[in-house]
Amino acid sequence: MKNCRPSKVMTAHEAVSRYVHDGDSVITGNYTEGLPFSLLFEIIRQRKKGLTYYSQSGSADVEFMVAGDCVDKLCTAFLHKWGGRAAGGMVERYQRAGKLQVEDYSNFTYNARLAAGANGYSFMPVLPSIMDSDVFKIRDYMGENKFGVVRCPFTGREIPVVPAANPDVCLLHVQRADKHGNAQHWGGLGSTVHACLASKTIIVSCEELVDFDVIKSSPHHTIVPGFRVSAVIEEPYGCHPSELPGYRNPDMTMLRFIDNSFSSDEGLRSMFDEWVYGLPDRASYIKHYIDVFGVESLNRYRARSYYSAPADYGVAFESGWDTYGQALLLGVDIAGLEQLIAEKGDLVDVD
Amino acid sequence: MLTKQVTKEELLIVTAARQIKNGDVVALGIGMPILAGAVAKNTHAPEAVLLMESGIVDFEPCVLPVNVADATCTRGYGYSVDLFSVFTTIAYAGYLDKAFLGVGQIDKYGNLNTSFLGTPPAAQRITAAGGAPEFYAYAKETILTMKGKGFVEKLPYMTSPGYLGGGDEREKSGRYTPGSGPSILITPKGIFKFHPETREMYLDALFPGVGVDEVRADIPWDLKIADPLGSFPVPQDEEIVFLRRLSPVSSFSNTTGKELVMAHIRKQMEEKATGR
Repeated sequence: MKNCRPSKVMTAHEAVSRYVHDGDSVITGNYTEGLPFSLLFEIIRQRKKGLTYYSQSGSADVEFMVAGDCVDKLCTAFLHKWGGRAAGGMVERYQRAGKLQVEDYSNFTYNARLAAGANGYSFMPVLPSIMDSDVFKIRDYMGENKFGVVRCPFTGREIPVVPAANPDVCLLHVQRADKHGNAQHWGGLGSTVHACLASKTIIVSCEELVDFDVIKSSPHHTIVPGFRVSAVIEEPYGCHPSELPGYRNPDMTMLRFIDNSFSSDEGLRSMFDEWVYGLPDRASYIKHYIDVFGVESLNRYRARSYYSAPADYGVAFESGWDTYGQALLLGVDIAGLEQLIAEKGDLVDVD
Repeated sequence: MLTKQVTKEELLIVTAARQIKNGDVVALGIGMPILAGAVAKNTHAPEAVLLMESGIVDFEPCVLPVNVADATCTRGYGYSVDLFSVFTTIAYAGYLDKAFLGVGQIDKYGNLNTSFLGTPPAAQRITAAGGAPEFYAYAKETILTMKGKGFVEKLPYMTSPGYLGGGDEREKSGRYTPGSGPSILITPKGIFKFHPETREMYLDALFPGVGVDEVRADIPWDLKIADPLGSFPVPQDEEIVFLRRLSPVSSFSNTTGKELVMAHIRKQMEEKATGR
């Protein structure tokens, strides 16, 4: 029998070279936390070009991707103001220099594009106040297609709508996943589920690879089913310096260090040789962090456990037979069932 | 009772915190709003439901978070939901009592710019829209905070509509929660409110050591002043003690805070390099 549930476990290098192509649209699934930095750094190291990048949080993730010259177009809802008031971060510098096209949505309207994409709709209604905002009126590369307006067939009211977004590749970092790609995440959800399910290919990195037994005893934490996932990477610290509930707080030492890099003319690029190009994988990145800041600094941000109360999924019966060997609803044992079949069954001759 | 020395930043945070009533459902953003929400919840409003647009609902800030889905906010919270549902099932459906928004630029009718200081794409950025336009439209009431001097006659980019052209324009449009809009703006110099009919912003109270002329100097229109002026809230020890426990760096201005943190990191790196 063909193995229909193969292991999808591979390295970040393999996943990115296999599934991310020049010119693709790529979305970071995580919303401000658990940002998939290992996968993003791999994309930068492989010097992918011409990407349309979706980043709702507009945090350090997009700064690295833009500084890596991977991105031509950015769809976002927020951009953290790195690098001080005047200079700004890499996104701002590239946008102002005409090297990057940026389409600005609000968090809700950005999420609505993905909700449409995830559910298979071609557009999604959004909330009417946006029509008074310059988010609606001022348009970049999406042009006419940034928003539309339809009339409700029932109330006659005007309703602004956004087009569906279906990125080519979604990058997701989670607490745990199994080898088939069943991905479990807990904490701030943002638009993570919509981002994943709207995408054609999903790459999952996880802090821990677990057995399917763990997944099936806690399905309420599974945010993406394995059959939608193409690659699974076991990548401890895969989201560092971003945080992940149960694992670590944001690494403020590294984030301040990143922030400080913007004060140079090169901005974030000044970190690339040492921190991105110079380190082939996540393990070497963490080793380098320890060399620079010390293991004490890494451990300072480690989470102390606060466990979720277990949810009891127990049932009374695990087959059509009760614990005394009696058939449910019939009240007979195996021999009794076979006797009933002989007497009352509509028997057929199959020899 | 107040026995502690209080900084300007702390006074602003406590002023914002006092806007929250016990039991309110409140949307918070990063920075001063989170600090204000945490202070309120740990002092006069323990039953407030604090939420962030990432879908972390009914949480208790214990450390200053750096973003709206920060893991420091998910150590025990009541309701985990997605962002889309926060805006539809909570805000648009009418269950959000208050929202806090940080302001880049504001005009006299409380319209906000948090995007660009000119026409994109060439203009300097502020940040971007984030959750502001929809929270501002659908929370029953919004509390605004502004650190800079962003009062302008005409916004170069209107991210989040306030009272639009003033009067009943917002109400009449039918695009907003009835009765919603900004109730108060808190800046380092004072407290501003909005006239119930004209919806024009006016100065309601001054912070200590600030004169009316200093406020007027930042404002390009002929600012109306409440007569008599109102007063600012005097922080209490329990508020200040809690705030310093939550976020010791927040007693300082952003610039001073960043300098203090960076000096500490440099010291750590030096100690590491010299093998201590």
